[in-house]
Amino acid sequence: MRWTMEDLELLSEEELENLEKRVARLLSVWQIQNLRGAAAVFHDDQHIGEQRRELNALDYPGVDAGKILEMRKKPVVDSLEGNMLIHPLTTPVIEIDDANTKARGVWWSLGIEGLSIHREKPLAIVSVGMVPGVHVKEAGEWRILWGVWQRTTKNEYHAGWVDSMVPTNTRPPLTPEQDRQGFGRYAYQKDRVRQAVPLPPEADTWNRYPDEWDQGWMKKSEEE
Amino acid sequence: MTERNRKEELLLALNKLEAYHEIQNEMGRLTAAFNFHQKERVREHFAMELADVSLEYADEGRFEGPEAVDAALEELLGGEAKPGEMLDLQLTTPMIEVADDGKTAKCVWWCPGVGARTDEEGAHALWIWGQTAVDFIRLQEVWKVWHLHYFRLIKCSYEKGWVEDLSMINRFNTPMHPKSLPSTYHNPYSPLSIRDGIPCPPRPYHTYTQADRFWELNRDKR
Repeated sequence: MRWTMEDLELLSEEELENLEKRVARLLSVWQIQNLRGAAAVFHDDQHIGEQRRELNALDYPGVDAGKILEMRKKPVVDSLEGNMLIHPLTTPVIEIDDANTKARGVWWSLGIEGLSIHREKPLAIVSVGMVPGVHVKEAGEWRILWGVWQRTTKNEYHAGWVDSMVPTNTRPPLTPEQDRQGFGRYAYQKDRVRQAVPLPPEADTWNRYPDEWDQGWMKKSEEE
Repeated sequence: MTERNRKEELLLALNKLEAYHEIQNEMGRLTAAFNFHQKERVREHFAMELADVSLEYADEGRFEGPEAVDAALEELLGGEAKPGEMLDLQLTTPMIEVADDGKTAKCVWWCPGVGARTDEEGAHALWIWGQTAVDFIRLQEVWKVWHLHYFRLIKCSYEKGWVEDLSMINRFNTPMHPKSLPSTYHNPYSPLSIRDGIPCPPRPYHTYTQADRFWELNRDKR
């Protein structure tokens, strides 16, 4: 059933305030899911250079807005034709702080890509990974404070993830070592035990890690 | 409707919405721990204080009771993680029904995934897809897994695919674990199998009763 003004007028002020807070935090979870979905659209190289609604908290203290905006201007392929980068978001774990101003989240993803750097026949890629991050409210809406794609696999389709690891496409190209230190830091390697990073945020994450810039919550297993 | 009834209904709706979010988070944390081969973290999510806590995994049998669940977790996650091994199951298509009394929830997720196994020849990429049906129960303000059933859909060589490689859809012919009970359901994809929509989607309910046990196996979709 739908609730009416008449129904709500029956609540005391204290009851109403309590419900407002609980509803607001649930709405935040929903909005952050939408925010990260929107960010996934612009994660696709196809949209580099396109005018967009701002999704990052560029005015938040500590954010290097200039660096973020500069990165967006750099094309990494000659033509958008044949390129695709689709990373659907799954397995959400989202924890909002009590004040409803900060949120940690981790998503997993099983995606596909098409990569054509110099107009050659595109490379089909299977791309598995995760998206950890922190979100804050800026100008009345949730925005991304930090957190981007973390690779698990990025393999040529036919070769599979055991035998193929395509480096992140940049200009100039990354060496394999640079790639491993960057997006590939926690990627699958056939001669390594997988590292448990990022861990999803626990229910008490904001009590244990109150600083929104702290990344310890998602790398706890490295410290243990 | 009285003022009290209205407030109760509003609280019920809000509690259900919060439960929906909390259960998604708990299941996400459990899945991450399972993928990261963290047996103790997985165990923390089970209602080990309940005599009928249970875990059923593909065709490995049903493990009922805390000792049996511990045995199953030891079988699945007990050894050290090996270089080159990987499991990466993900949660999609959530179907979550929280009981009107707020004490339990019936849930289903579809779980696409990837993996890798190792042998003397090295590592081999795998497709690993399934579904998970879970009964959650709220104990001391925390949602815990009461009954979990993982249904295997495919487990196959990445290179050969799910139509050609059927070598891993059924367990090897070794003795079943002594603490296991017979599997309730195992119907992975094969070229001759027929899908019958199991686990079925949960339906709204008021209170979990004994008759609800194994609701996920209901083939009657009316």
